[in-house]
Amino acid sequence: MHGVQRVRYSREVLEARKQREQAKLKEYLALTEEVLAKKKSGELNREAFDLTTRVLRLNPEFYTVWNYRRNILLHGIFPSSSPSEINDLLSDDLSMTIAFLKQHPKVYWIWNHRRWCLENVPDCPTDGDPHAWRQANWNKELFVVEKMLDADARNFLAWNYRRYVLASMTLPRSEESELAYTTRKIEANFSNFSAWHQRSKVLTSLWESGNLDPVKSREQEFDLVKNAMYTDPADQSVWIYHAWLIGRGDDAGLLRREIDAIQELLDEQPDSKWCMESLVRYKRLLLQNHTSILEEKERSELREECLRLLSQLKEYDPQRRRRYDELEESVRNT
Amino acid sequence: MATLPRLNIPLHVKYIQSLGENKDDLVYHLTAHLRMNAIYWGLTALCVMDHKDALNRDEMIEFVMSCWDEEAGGFGAHPDHDPHILPTLSAIQILTIQGARDRINVPKVTNFILSLQQPSGVFAGDVFGEIDTRFLFCAVLALSLLGQLDQLDVEKTVSYIRRCRNFDGGFGAVIGAESHAAQVFVCVGALAVLDRLDEIDQERLAFWLAERQLPNGGLNGRPEKLEDVCYSFWVLSALSILKKVSWIDADKLIEFIISAEDPEGGGIADRPGDQPDVFHTQFGVAGLSILGYPGLLDLDPVYCMPASVIESLGLRKDWEALPRRVA
Repeated sequence: MHGVQRVRYSREVLEARKQREQAKLKEYLALTEEVLAKKKSGELNREAFDLTTRVLRLNPEFYTVWNYRRNILLHGIFPSSSPSEINDLLSDDLSMTIAFLKQHPKVYWIWNHRRWCLENVPDCPTDGDPHAWRQANWNKELFVVEKMLDADARNFLAWNYRRYVLASMTLPRSEESELAYTTRKIEANFSNFSAWHQRSKVLTSLWESGNLDPVKSREQEFDLVKNAMYTDPADQSVWIYHAWLIGRGDDAGLLRREIDAIQELLDEQPDSKWCMESLVRYKRLLLQNHTSILEEKERSELREECLRLLSQLKEYDPQRRRRYDELEESVRNT
Repeated sequence: MATLPRLNIPLHVKYIQSLGENKDDLVYHLTAHLRMNAIYWGLTALCVMDHKDALNRDEMIEFVMSCWDEEAGGFGAHPDHDPHILPTLSAIQILTIQGARDRINVPKVTNFILSLQQPSGVFAGDVFGEIDTRFLFCAVLALSLLGQLDQLDVEKTVSYIRRCRNFDGGFGAVIGAESHAAQVFVCVGALAVLDRLDEIDQERLAFWLAERQLPNGGLNGRPEKLEDVCYSFWVLSALSILKKVSWIDADKLIEFIISAEDPEGGGIADRPGDQPDVFHTQFGVAGLSILGYPGLLDLDPVYCMPASVIESLGLRKDWEALPRRVA
């Protein structure tokens, strides 16, 4: 029961509610019994199909009934239907499940049924393009999932589904437009780590395919993330993304530049845990990966600064004290 | 050390016992598709609270067997419900805890599970093909409990998990998905069972997991999200496999979990003031066990079953919970 408040009712109120519930309960149990009986006896007709609609309206998590519905369509109704009728039936199910999702945005079975519908859309026989119905559906689907992400920008089922839709479209959308979508989501809310995550995936793909210049694009990302850092230095989404941009820390010049930039922010926000944490991380990367280009004096300074920051972190973030102890130990042994 | 808040064990035991008595309650029937899981959660919570016998063993075993689908070779969540890998794992866990593994048709259920593996290495939940690293974990755990891991293509399975790993060290539900503490639990758990923890960027992941703790002591499942009791187990399971449970503040988390209990009716909710349920009760109690809460029995964080059961099967992996405290 996620997010359902506990309320104490009197015995009388509870009793009255139970009485009211009895009618609903009776109806639900009768429907359940009927649908499972039909399933058992192998009925695959329209009547059984309509019955599954009624049950699923009351309980969209009843996975067995979703399975039964699909089997009725596949083996009972589709064989005697024209492609256009099949397309209509699937469109009806897509519309029905939109209504379900509005009420139950995190029920896996509903998302799952949509996938099945989309994957079973037949070839279009009249149009010149056999993919016409499919493409129309995929385009609509992207719109649906955008609506879902407008309602809850962190719904991970919707994000996973979005990636699935993008990968399935017969006419793929450009990755540049997906990048623009993540920009919009991030600008609406810097804390939306789901959008930062998606951005890291899209950029990786764009860089690897050569459609975007990695050097120039990375610099633009540093600007974007810097803007976010200054807006809310306590937001961890931004810092995790920054660490992704830095990567394994192979570029000593980049590490030094970012260390200076973060130090500047820390001077303005002297109690920023994430500034301290990131400084320790990048200074350690300098020590670990670039020790040969560092002079002994700089090495010992970096170690001293890490130790100083770690002791500050223990003070500002005592919950994770043991981690900072272990990092201290490791810096001492570098 | 400050005195720990008290976990009202007798009340929670009573709460779990009462769950089967709500048959005139609509919610009881609307959740029939979770019945097998719910029994597993209830039984495991009772075991950790050292009240394994609070639910009738024979009735439980008969219920589990009434969900067996002979044709498919899997278990449904309820009699007449379709077989699926989630209730199949729960059924195997229940029968194992109850010492009734002889009731399982091992070759048949092994075939059912293996039939769900996809060419990519991930597992589907059932014949309709929804894929998720959760189902991969269910398959690995079930095969391990049945002593059938030698039938699994380990490299293929591990390669899918590898492709779900993100730059933050975490894992998602499918390739490309955002890291999520529950998916981290299933991926790290599967790698632990398969002895492949070398696939993990351990320092990075342990850091990400430690950052799940919020100032109020509770844990969230992803950056910039709210706390929830169920993450207590998912995050702690992965941390104990990485031997880094000490990286979070145990006392504050204990306080948070216990503050989410229903002091009148028993049971634990997702967060303080909410309606309790058996899912959060189990994962709250499981979290407390890993944190060394006094008076509880050890839970195996990989299998999420009593540690004594896993040890007697010779399946214990190299995890580390906090030492049990004395009341």
